[in-house]
Formats: sequence, C-alpha cells, structure tokens
Amino acid sequence: MSLTKRKDTLPIPPVDAERYTTVCQYCSVGCGYNVFVWPEKRSGTAKSNAFHVDLSKQGQLMSGFSYTETMHNVITRKNGNRYNLAIIPAKESRINKGDYSIRGGTNALTAYTPTGVTKDRLKYPLLRKENGFVAISWDDAVEIIATLTKSSMDKYGADSVAMKFYDHGSSGLGFEDNWGAGKFFLSGVKTQYLSIHNRPAYNSEVWGSRERGMHELNYDVDDARLADTIVLWGANAYEGATVFYTEHIMPNLQGGSIDEKKREFASGEPAEEGRIVIIDPRKNATTTVSQDISAERVLHLRPNLGTDWILANALARIAWENNWYDKDYLQKRTDMKTFEDYKSKSLELAKPFAAFLADAEKITGVSRKEMEEAAAWIAKPKTGGFERRTLTLYEKGIIWNMKNYDQVAAIAQLNVLTHNVGRPGTGCGRLGGHQEGYVRPGAPTPGSIYAGGPPKNVDKYITGGGGKIYWVGATDPYLSTPNSKFFKKSVKKRANNLLDYLDNGGIPSDPKAYVAKVLEAYEKTDGLFMIVQDIYKTHTSEDAMLILPAAGWGEAVDTSINCHSRLLRIYDKFMDAPGEALPDWKILALVGNKIKALYTADGNKEMAARFSGMEWKTDAEVFADGAQEFGDNRATETEEARLSAECYKGVTHAMLRKLGNEGIQTPVRQDPATGKLVGTKRRYQYSFASKDGLFKWYGTDAWTGYPAEIAKYINNPTYPFWFTTGRSQHVWQTMYHDKRIPEKLMTVPLPYLEIHPDDAGKLNLKTGDMAEVFNEEGSCLALVYVNDATKPGLVFGIMYHAKGTMNNLTSSYTDPKTTIPWYKGTKVGVKKYNGKLDDAIKTVSLLSNNDFRTQ
Amino acid sequence: MSDISRRKFLQTTSASALLLFSGLGRESQAASAQSYPSRKIGNIKNLKVNEQIAFTYPDDNSPCVLVNVGQEAFGGIGKGKSVVSFSTLCTHMGCPLTYSDGRLVCKCHYSMFDVSRNGQTYQGLASQWVAQVVLRLDAATGNIYAEGVEGLIYGRIGNLKLS
Ligand code: SF4
Ligand code: FES
Repeated sequence: MSLTKRKDTLPIPPVDAERYTTVCQYCSVGCGYNVFVWPEKRSGTAKSNAFHVDLSKQGQLMSGFSYTETMHNVITRKNGNRYNLAIIPAKESRINKGDYSIRGGTNALTAYTPTGVTKDRLKYPLLRKENGFVAISWDDAVEIIATLTKSSMDKYGADSVAMKFYDHGSSGLGFEDNWGAGKFFLSGVKTQYLSIHNRPAYNSEVWGSRERGMHELNYDVDDARLADTIVLWGANAYEGATVFYTEHIMPNLQGGSIDEKKREFASGEPAEEGRIVIIDPRKNATTTVSQDISAERVLHLRPNLGTDWILANALARIAWENNWYDKDYLQKRTDMKTFEDYKSKSLELAKPFAAFLADAEKITGVSRKEMEEAAAWIAKPKTGGFERRTLTLYEKGIIWNMKNYDQVAAIAQLNVLTHNVGRPGTGCGRLGGHQEGYVRPGAPTPGSIYAGGPPKNVDKYITGGGGKIYWVGATDPYLSTPNSKFFKKSVKKRANNLLDYLDNGGIPSDPKAYVAKVLEAYEKTDGLFMIVQDIYKTHTSEDAMLILPAAGWGEAVDTSINCHSRLLRIYDKFMDAPGEALPDWKILALVGNKIKALYTADGNKEMAARFSGMEWKTDAEVFADGAQEFGDNRATETEEARLSAECYKGVTHAMLRKLGNEGIQTPVRQDPATGKLVGTKRRYQYSFASKDGLFKWYGTDAWTGYPAEIAKYINNPTYPFWFTTGRSQHVWQTMYHDKRIPEKLMTVPLPYLEIHPDDAGKLNLKTGDMAEVFNEEGSCLALVYVNDATKPGLVFGIMYHAKGTMNNLTSSYTDPKTTIPWYKGTKVGVKKYNGKLDDAIKTVSLLSNNDFRTQ
Repeated sequence: MSDISRRKFLQTTSASALLLFSGLGRESQAASAQSYPSRKIGNIKNLKVNEQIAFTYPDDNSPCVLVNVGQEAFGGIGKGKSVVSFSTLCTHMGCPLTYSDGRLVCKCHYSMFDVSRNGQTYQGLASQWVAQVVLRLDAATGNIYAEGVEGLIYGRIGNLKLS
C-alpha cells in the first residue's frame, strides 16, 4: 500500500560503534550531525547503545534526539563488508540543538551503496568514444588532461583554459578542495577565464558590501534570538535556511528568547518578542509561518522586481528625516567624506522629502505608510531612547537582483546608518545558500568596476568561440547558468565539432595520439574539450569529452564554515568513495604534478615552478597549506576587522576533531597576549575592514528603468507576466541527490509554477494543470499551483529541477559593475498545456504550501 | 480496548498526548507479540466527511487519527477509498499533529502531511513521511479495524517492541 519502502524498526548501534562528527552537507545553516557506523550483523540493545539513549522508552517530543527511517542506510566498504550507517542531528550543536530539516534528515539516504538509489555514482574516469563513454585509468586521464592543458597553454596561451568550479563549503567540498582548485587554476594555469559555480564570472556576489569595509558574514546565530527586529530581504529563511529559522528566528518571534535579551541588553532596555520585516514580492512560507505565530509582529513589503535598492534608500531617508541615527557613531566609525556622496545620491537630500517618497512609492510599488512602518521597526529608538537592534539578512532576491552592486550596497548602508552592525542583536549580511570554505590565491579580478573589475564573463567567452578547454567542477551549467538554453546549444555545437573531427578515422586509444588529434582538431575546428568533474553524470556531462569521478561528503575529510556564525568544523570521513573516485584536491594535484613534470622535462623552470607546491599527501596537509594564504593573524580583539572572514590560520584537523560540534568561529586570531587561538563571535564592533578602519559610503545610482534585455518585454502583450524564481524546501540545488530519492521526486516531480487565482482564472488554469512558460530566451513546461503566494501579474517558478530548468527563461543581462546575473527577474507568457501527466499527479500533493492555518 | 466508545478513545488520546507534551512520558507497554494487534477503532457508517476519530495504536503511547477525507486517498477504505488513518506523532521531532482540511499540521515547526498521499510531507521539516495505519473494513458490520502500521512511529526504535 505504501508508495515507498517503509520500515517499522531500525538497527541499534552497539556502544563500540565507530562515531564521527560531521556537519550537514547542504544549506548555509550547517546543522551538526553525528555519524555511527557498525557491522550490519551486530546490534546494540535498547538500554545499551552508542546513542546513550534509553530506546526502550517512547521518545519525547523535542527531546533533541531523533532517529528516523531516513537517517539510516547500509553501506559496503572497500573490504567488501556491509555496515549500518546512522546519521543523526547533534543535540549538542548550538546551531541546531538536535533539530534538522527535510534536506539534512535524508543525509543517510545519499550515501553510496552499490545496489541502492545512489548506485550510479561515478566510479572511474570516463572518456567519450565513438559510441559513448568508456572507463579509462586515472593514469591515462591525467596524462590526457595534463598534456592537453600544457600544449594548449603553450600554443594558445593560458586563457585557452577556462574553468567553472564551485568555491564553497559543504556538499563534500570545503577549504581543502578550494585550495586545490585555487592552486591549480590561479597559481598554475593563471587563466582570466574563471567562473564560480552557477554564475558566469569569478566574482563576489557582495562586493557592494565588502567594498564598504563590511564582510557579509558578520553576525552570530545568537543575534537572531536577540534582535528586536529581523529583516529578511529576498531571503526565504523557513524554506531555504530552515533550522536557522526554526531554532533562532522563531523562538524570538514567540518570545522564547526574552530572558536571553534581558541578560545581554543594557539595564532598563526594553526586551520583547521580536518583530519581523519580510521584503519579498512573494507571500512565501516564511511570511505565512511568521504570520501564524504573530500576525501583528510581521510586516510584509512586496516591491516591484528590481527596485529594492530604491526601497532601501527610502527607508534610510525616513530614518534620516526622523534623526534615527547616532551622529557620534557615524563620525567615529564611518568615512564622512564619502558620506556626502551617499547623502546626495542615495538619500537625495536635495529633493524634498515628500517628493522623494512619492517617487520611491511609484518605482517600488510599496506605499509610504508601509515604508514608514518598516523604517520605524528597523531604526526607531525604543522606549527610553535605547537604540533598536535590527538584524538584516538578504539573499538571492538581492544578490541575484538587477544591479547587484547597488542593491547590496544600499542595504549595507541602511544598516550602518542606523548602527545596526557590531552590537548584540544586530548585523547585516547574507542569509546564505550553501556553506562556505574559500581559500585560494588572489583572483585576477580583485573587485567591482570600482576596484579593478569587472571580471570577465566566461559564458560569453565560451559561447562566442573562446577557449579550448572548459573544466567544470561540481556544477551543472546546462541547468544553472542564466539564459541556459543558448549556453547549452553553443557548448553542444563546439563539443560535437570536436567529436566529429576525432571520430573521423577513429578516436585513438593511446593518450599521446589522442591528444595529438585533439590539437589537430583545434586548428581545424572551433572544438571545445569539456571536462566534467562530479559525483554523478550531470546534464552538462552529456557533452563532456572526459568525466572525472569525485569523492563526496563523508568520503574525504573536509572543513567548512556555516553562514550564521562562521563556525568552522570538521566534516569527517566515515566511508569510502565509490570505485576510484578521488577528492577534488587530489585530482587537481595529480594533474598539476604531471604538468610540472612535463615542464621540468622541457627545462622550463618558470612554468614548472608555477605548478609546484601541490605535492600534498593528506587532506590535513592541504588544509594547513591553504592557511598560509591568510598571512599574519596575530591580532587583539579590537583588531579583528583586519582579518579575512574565513581566516583559520593555526587551526588543524586534529584540533577540529577534538572540538567536534563545538568548532571555532572564523576569523580565528592568535591572541598576542596569550598566544592562544581565539574565534570571533560578531564582527565590526570596533572598526570596519577598510585600510583606515572606516566604513566607506557610496552614492547609489538613480532609477533609470530596466535594462534592454528586459525592457524589450515591457508593454509587449505576449509576455504579460513578471517572472521570478526560488527554491523548494525539499530539494537541494539541481536535485543531484534528491532526484534519486523516491520520496523527494514524488513530492516535487516536475518543475512548478505558482500563479495568483485572478490570473489563473483568466487562463483557465487550476492546480494540477500543466502550463507552458515562455519568452524569447526559452520555455519550460511546469506543474501549476494556484495560490496567493504571488501577486496578480507575477508568476513564480522553481529555479532548478532535474526535469527542466527555468533558467532558460532568464536573460543574459549581468550587472556591468560586477558581472552578476539577474536570475530573479524577467517577463514571460503563460499558456495552458493540454497534456496530462497523470502518474505524477497521482502521487504529488496538490495542497498549498504556504497555508499553515488549522480550523 | 476493542469495544471502547469513541468518547473514551478521545479521552485516552488527549491524556497520552498531554503526557508526551509535558515531557513526562512513561515506560511503554510494548506489545508482547511481534505482530500488530487487530483493534476495532470505529464504524464506517457514521463517519462523515472530515470527521475524525482519535485513538491509540498499537499501544497506549501511540496516538492516531482515523478520518474520512472525502476523496480517494492512498490506503483508503470504504466506497470512495476515502477513510484513512495515521499516527499523530510528528515524524520530525514528535509533536502532536492536528488534522485539518485534508492534512496533518504540526505547529512546532510547521510540517504538513497530505493524508490523501500516503502521509507525504508536502511542506516542512519532517524528512520521514508520517506513519500510516493499515485498516481493514468488515463489509458486513462496517466496523473498521487497525491491523498494522507502515512506517516508523516517531520516538521508537521499533513500532511494536521497544527493547
Ligand atoms: S537546515 Fe540546512 S544544514 Fe540544517 S539539516 Fe537542513 S539542510 Fe542541513
Ligand atoms: S515536531 Fe513537527 S515540525 Fe518539528
């Protein structure tokens, strides 16, 4: 009767089961987990087990100990024996306190098993031959890549090698792998054509804040419980950073953290239940859950797409007019010279207040009354004149908005103007998507257009015929790059041109002859040699010439930080990687060492030196080597701002293993007085991260309408809807794991579209129908949900889905200041599709996921 | 407790739910046999649409609900296959679930389970779908019997034997 295989008992780990600490492989929250591994045939007892929990009793609600069907699996180790694997949320972690989400709760199901849903993990290097991919040895794969890369660099220059690699933590990645990729591409190859996971260039998504002197991860989870007001700006925390919402924001809204507030706040300072301002065009689940908790403490503003920086400036102007700022603070901590620019361009003080607000209302679609209320919740001093404490977190709705740089800068400046940084209960930065773990040699483009940028657009380079080798690591651009249809078409053509040339007369098996023929093809065609390095085959890998198998989460030792506390922890290795899969750093080291040997044989010392320093033997060595990049970290508490946000210098794997779920917060400094390593809880209390320690203001651009890529649709009746995208609580990124888990695929079987009842009525659409969403860039068939999450005239689609990507509707526009795309806005047409997918409809829930009310 | 009245069922359930809520709990009276008991929990004739019967199964520490959802549902019995039953311990962290409008809702972290779709978590945090009670309808009398549970009841290492 069950749609999926169910269990009604679970194996019990004996007291001596192997035990490891790790952190969830998915989102920015970084919930702590404990891993237990024990032989399949052995069992603990209810009273005596490795959990140290009495399992003979009915478990209590909210006890912090959960062990459910999805937290267990059976794995096979290289020794051929089968082991039970239990991955359970850590009660002792101050990040999640035993809580977990629907993503992390299935960590165990993603473990590699030779007979289960993950059996198609990549195990050997695969070379594309006449009839598809064949397994080859690592020796041959390394020789092909090394020889081809060297020859290509020698003949066409370093820029003939382009790459697209993740730069983040979690998911089995982290400092070790980032340092490996960084050494290879930034010190060795030295190409300018680098790009970061989903996006077209190598850039920060928050230069608008960093170039002000403020790194985006400057707060602690505690601040979400201490804040008087939390602002979530384009940041769907309940669905995207779930446990951060349920363990830190929700208790604040419910009044559960008032005692903590009383302890931290000044004497006499009011401490009440928190308020929340949600700025999002969509009434998402974060909004409706918050409203269910306390409707009168929720304010929901729904700006027109692309207009958020105008709204941020308007809130700042309201704060300014009401004197809701601390002049002393501004003078002491911020650069009053650049402040003039901010006053004239962002606050537009020359324009009368009423006229300014009337303009802002017109552009943003948010009423003056709502703006005034939001500004008061953010900045108005509390009874007794105490400064309000506001934590402002933004995410994809801002960083992937039109005009990335100005959006981020405007929000950062609103918070500094109102002194909502560097105090308990304040902070301003990213909510985050994934975890972080960036350590690399200096990037070729240090910053935005104001700081040596903008970086090169690699998508445009590749689609325009540039580059000979394109190395893609742990990302799937056929789904995830903006304007993805055009990208895919162009890459496919170039890959096929290469394949056709190689195929003519047969593809040589000997690596030397193979590379010689590729080099010949380069002269005769625009062929592109694509390498895909990943844990599974991807949508992109169908056009790769070589696929490399990478180790995943739990199959190597990694380290990363989470976003809400910069908490550095170890993600220990608890199982073997499938087949001959290797950690990313090791793959890059193998190729790097080979290129070094080739240059040494040539007598080219200079080039050999560029590829040296990758002779690491263990993960721990890579981690320690990367730390050198951070320079001297001897600093007092008041000097923390000059340390780089992820600095972990002095920390070792052994130390982290001891610290377990407690971890240590970056930046880690070496205290000059004691010589001890000390973590940093909250940033920018004493100064900012600029040379002189002052926050640098910036006058944002005025509203000038939409860029040409979008303007072409405005007033065009074929594309009447504004279109925005986002994520579903259930699935992670491109669904690379989740599409293999039957429960997940039944719940989110197809890309889906949310549409308002008024619009649905006109199109004769109802929940469960299919619709075609289209524009000049692309199209997608989607399952329809009619609900009030969107406004009339706006539709919402899931950004990534294994069965169709909505990114093929987005434009090729990027912010000229940063080369960051506007993933979150374009215009589309919607029409009913008359076909039915009955099988999917039978198992998917058609209930509305933003309605939590009960009768 | 095969012939206990509906009223009494409700009392039992709220009592055990309260116990759980207050964090006291108690040693489970685990079923002695390894197979699920058969237990009469209601009658199909007087079960109107959206009407619920609360009961416990397979033992007193496991609150459940029987409901007529008014549309065809997985594992449903009756003419319209619309009568289903589920554990009401949230599979996320064990809070009590409330039935409303075709779904079970948890107000602890807002997980929601679709009772027509096998207890699927269609929104929220619970990575395990809620456990569904296997029902048997006695055609002659209209009596409904609980005869098994598919999926793990929250807070247990096994549905039947807690040892
Ligand atoms: S909230 Fe994020 S980190 Fe925590 S369990 Fe879920 S996916 Fe993992
Ligand atoms: S206990 Fe039900 S959602 Fe957490």
